[in-house]
Amino acid sequence: MNELLSIGNLLYGGAAGLIVIGLFAVVARRHLIRVLLGVAVIEAGVNLMLVAAGFRPGAAAPIFDPQAISGPMVDPIPQALVLTAIVIGVAVLALGLTLAIRIHRQYGTLDTVALTRIVNAPAGSPESRAMMQRGGGGHES
Amino acid sequence: MNPEILIALPLLAAFLLPAARRIDASVGIWWGPLVVLANLVIAAMAWWKVQLIGPQSIALGGFAAPLGIELRADHLGLSAAVLLNLAVLLLWPRETPDKARVSTILLVLTGAGCGLAMSADLFNLYVFFELVAVATYGLAAANGKGEALIASLRYLILGALGSALALLGIALVYAKTGTLNLTELGGMSEALSGPAGIGALVLMVVGFGVKAELFPLNNWVPEVYAHTESRVSALMAGIISKLGILVLLRLIAEVFGGSPGLEFLLWVGVLGVVTGELAAYGAKDMRRVLAYSSIGQMGLVAVALALGGETGFIAALILMLNHLLVKPALFLIADAWPGSLKALAGKGRARPLGAVLFVLLALSLIGVPPLPGFWGKYLLLDAIFTNVTEGAGLLVGLILAATVVEAAYFFRIAARLFGSGEAAEESKIPGLPAVAALFVIAFLALSVQTGRVGDYLKEVVHGLQPQELRMAQSDFPDPAASVNGKGERL
Repeated sequence: MNELLSIGNLLYGGAAGLIVIGLFAVVARRHLIRVLLGVAVIEAGVNLMLVAAGFRPGAAAPIFDPQAISGPMVDPIPQALVLTAIVIGVAVLALGLTLAIRIHRQYGTLDTVALTRIVNAPAGSPESRAMMQRGGGGHES
Repeated sequence: MNPEILIALPLLAAFLLPAARRIDASVGIWWGPLVVLANLVIAAMAWWKVQLIGPQSIALGGFAAPLGIELRADHLGLSAAVLLNLAVLLLWPRETPDKARVSTILLVLTGAGCGLAMSADLFNLYVFFELVAVATYGLAAANGKGEALIASLRYLILGALGSALALLGIALVYAKTGTLNLTELGGMSEALSGPAGIGALVLMVVGFGVKAELFPLNNWVPEVYAHTESRVSALMAGIISKLGILVLLRLIAEVFGGSPGLEFLLWVGVLGVVTGELAAYGAKDMRRVLAYSSIGQMGLVAVALALGGETGFIAALILMLNHLLVKPALFLIADAWPGSLKALAGKGRARPLGAVLFVLLALSLIGVPPLPGFWGKYLLLDAIFTNVTEGAGLLVGLILAATVVEAAYFFRIAARLFGSGEAAEESKIPGLPAVAALFVIAFLALSVQTGRVGDYLKEVVHGLQPQELRMAQSDFPDPAASVNGKGERL
């Protein structure tokens, strides 16, 4: 088999590609939902990397079966880890989207530059008060 | 009682709470504090047991270490568990629209934090770290204010990014060594001294550093601390930031000692000190001053950790303990002075006790002898002179310059507090809240007994690599054989 195009290298390359795409979204995008999706793509890349760490060419799935051919198996530990990591990732993403919904209801925007201005406005400044009033109105409706 | 109850009891209570409050609504108020109090008693008993019979290793579910998941009931883990339970109990948030929901969050935080403090397995550390992280995102948004929600979401994004990077680091460690058990990894530091090992350490420093307020992913600190209730800021700056450091402490003491990647942690720490103190000098309100000062202090801890060795680790622990007692008290006392620093003029004369204690605690952060902060910084400089061969002068110069900046902004606050200003109006907030008084008393006890605490910290550091665990290492099956005979793959 061509050394450079082995399945292991494809997996590592794919993982690196996903991480780079995700990092681009996190750094370059202003809309918070896109940023959150970027984080999700990075997590997918990291999970692929974990699975790749346990990969062996030509090995069987790590399912215990006495009837199966007694050949080499793929390392099961990274697969167990990835399952956990996926569940955690989904939970964090859901929490993030919940927060995003509540913020959008209150301020009508998810633009990170606008939100930074609200968060960093000094207490009692006209800007923070105007935002608070708008926020209060939005919350009741 | 078994230390694993410290994890199981709060988590079980957290999951039962939503059901229990349907039966009786008042459950939401007393359930949480009661469970944490019980957990505190169990933690104290387990801590005492370690004092009597020494550190123990626990194999969860009866599976022994390489295949099973190991918990470590040692001095460091159980001291952290006791302090965490105590801090959560004292700093229970009050300003919240839904008491039961906050109780659930704090119970998850307590259970996961205890697990984090005792884990001796990289993946378990990651899982508990994520649980603590999710709980803190909820905590940051607990008062339901718009700004707090925004700060929490931005914190969540940085936190999730950091966790992904840390997990990538863990994947690198596994790919290189085929194990995640810290004891086993400790014997394989050779395999982790190459580029993959250094990369793994750098990724984990950045990832776990998000919670530890380390440079560069610490933009969230001033945003979150400025918009949450002071008790939540106190809890997060006081103990939760220390949990992030604790993970790094275990990793460095047991696996990455002497790794070239520690140079990275050193400069992350120095940049944290410099940027944190400069930003605190430029901050316009009290909350942000305290938040940026927290970044600076955690930077010092990171420098001490990176230097390592007995002196470095003890310096890190003293700086952490000092910050753990001082910063919550400062946040609580500063509750009486919200808003801009300009409004502070003359306010100190209305509440002399609070103002005097504020200045005393700040002096310890700056490092004025004989306060504990001085010993932390003194040991840190000592560790720099003994361990750093090149560039020690630059390092010491930067840290001392940052200390001068730190002194400048705290003295500016003190001068405003005791300076002239309009007569302070009457306010319902007491000059010295009861909880702040408890932290001050603990701080004074630490100041008086610094020598004894130092001796105990020495024992904690020695306990990080227990002799029997080191010897048991040779009993493990050959690590390359334990993962289907693969060994190294990268």
